[in-house]
Amino acid sequence: MTSARFRARFRLKDLLAEALAGLFTRPGRSLLTALGAVLGIASLVATLGIAETAGAQIVTAFDELAATSVVVTNERGFFGGETRVALPWDSEERIARLNGVIAAGTMAEVNLAGRLTSAVPVNDPLGLTEFQVPMIAASPGLLAASLGELSSGRWFDSGHSVRADRVAVLGNGVAQRLNVTRVDQQPVVFVGDDSYVVLGILEDVRRQPELLNSIIVPEGTARELYELESPTTVQIHTEIGAASLISTQAPIAVSPDDPGAVQVQAPLEPEEVRADVEEDVNALFLMLGGVSLLVGAIGIANVTLVSVLERVGEIGLRRALGAGRRHIAYQFLLESTGVGFFGGVIGASLGVLVVVSVSAVRTWTPVMDARIALAAPLLGGLVGLVAGLYPAWRASRMAPVDSLRAGMG
Amino acid sequence: MNAAPLIRLEGVGRRFRSGTIEVEALRDAHLEIKPGEYLSIVGPSGSGKSTLLNIIALLDRQTSGVYRFEGSVVTELSEGYRTGLRAHRIGFVFQSFHLLAHRTVTENVILSMLYNRLPPKERKPRARAALERVGLSHRADFRPGRLSGGERQRVAIARAIATGPAILICDEPTGNLDSASTESVLDLFDELRSDGLTLLVVTHDPAVSARAERTLQMHDGRLSEPS
Repeated sequence: MTSARFRARFRLKDLLAEALAGLFTRPGRSLLTALGAVLGIASLVATLGIAETAGAQIVTAFDELAATSVVVTNERGFFGGETRVALPWDSEERIARLNGVIAAGTMAEVNLAGRLTSAVPVNDPLGLTEFQVPMIAASPGLLAASLGELSSGRWFDSGHSVRADRVAVLGNGVAQRLNVTRVDQQPVVFVGDDSYVVLGILEDVRRQPELLNSIIVPEGTARELYELESPTTVQIHTEIGAASLISTQAPIAVSPDDPGAVQVQAPLEPEEVRADVEEDVNALFLMLGGVSLLVGAIGIANVTLVSVLERVGEIGLRRALGAGRRHIAYQFLLESTGVGFFGGVIGASLGVLVVVSVSAVRTWTPVMDARIALAAPLLGGLVGLVAGLYPAWRASRMAPVDSLRAGMG
Repeated sequence: MNAAPLIRLEGVGRRFRSGTIEVEALRDAHLEIKPGEYLSIVGPSGSGKSTLLNIIALLDRQTSGVYRFEGSVVTELSEGYRTGLRAHRIGFVFQSFHLLAHRTVTENVILSMLYNRLPPKERKPRARAALERVGLSHRADFRPGRLSGGERQRVAIARAIATGPAILICDEPTGNLDSASTESVLDLFDELRSDGLTLLVVTHDPAVSARAERTLQMHDGRLSEPS
């Protein structure tokens, strides 16, 4: 006799409306409840975003400089001891012949044995006019290989080297100390008793920054005056993508007898670098984000449970009005899921904001997988769902009789 | 009138067990309620009135005896049908109103129609009609906090009758009301009764039970016609 037409039902739309109403009757509390999820999601999104941004930044930097730089030295490094081979004087030509090399240059520090450098003598009793300035002997190609820029004048060429001309290029720092600002009248500086005509002033370099604080002379000149034995370093500027190939070929080119005797500094593959950086950043901060998300979940569970106990009367009423246990459980489950979801939305927004702010401060380009921002609210919802399981179960187990007695509302 | 009873209890009992102590809150109750009857049950607190009411209202299950609602043996029904019966055939009025404070009067009335098969479009017209029936159309958009006790109970009654139930079950409906409000609620019961609604009122107030056609007494879990 009692037919299916009396079966209780609860439309999905009504369920959603009831859960939303539950959320928005106490918006302040819902917001506070969501705070844990907000923080957790925000830190996760920010972590992933910043890691990605920084990774992309590193790759960009490597593309420009390090990814195209290969350095060969015969120095044995910090613990190295004696050098095993001398780099040949024609290293520059040998390297430049390799396919993929844009520019190459050799350099070596010259032992000045305490000689001081000065500009044209001016008798200024108070001013310091003589300085201890390191001297670097360089090949003509070094300017291009170190991506240097002259602010005035010119770099020396192989003719200067062959003739052992007394010419020099001043690094920017040295030029300032010696008060040499222009070279059109061929100023002269003295190193010990030897005079050098200043050909140019080196404004900036992107590699081998010690050049900026040195007086740079042709190799031929250094050989003749200071008995320089050999270059110590070859700086190579390669085409993009050629660095790893050149780093295997260059030792053979400069030291065919014993390629292993020279040291090669070559860039890591960009993908490796990015992966390394992201992994480092991620592991730590993802853990932090995970912990705060867990704390957030506990918070949601707690408040939802309190809310269940507070709304005993409402639960009883709904049961009396024909809500099944399932309906009650769904309602509370959906409420906590909603809290988590909105927490996720707010958290994701905050996280993106953090990434953008950090990028703005560091003048980086913010890079972020859009899927992270979109998945964050879903993760928040999931956290809310899990957090609501126990409170919803409790709510659904309440006997309507008892809840109606207890709740005065 | 139709002789088939709406509700029929045959030797219904309810035992509660807490630890090793067993309490028999309801013993061997026999009761028949016909459609359109106005019945009250009186008795001191602790006499088992509420236990009986909860069983009749399908909120609780008896431990012995047979309970038929509109001819069906309810113990044979699944929980889904029992909740369905609550949603469609039974209206509740509680002592403490149980209105949701954050919702308007109309929204509170609509709440009772959420869990039944009424088309959603019909909810609002029905809620309006029910509010008009209890004389509160002018309060439709108020929140319960701004209503008097008597008005709140009338909203609760509107909520209960909006689904068109077969029976209205009231648990101490005037327990929280002053005498004037009590009077207005009782007048409303009379009107509903004359509309043909079946009423079951549980109370400990003789003035309230006096308005019913038939009054039963509860004492120590036993239901009896007064002598």
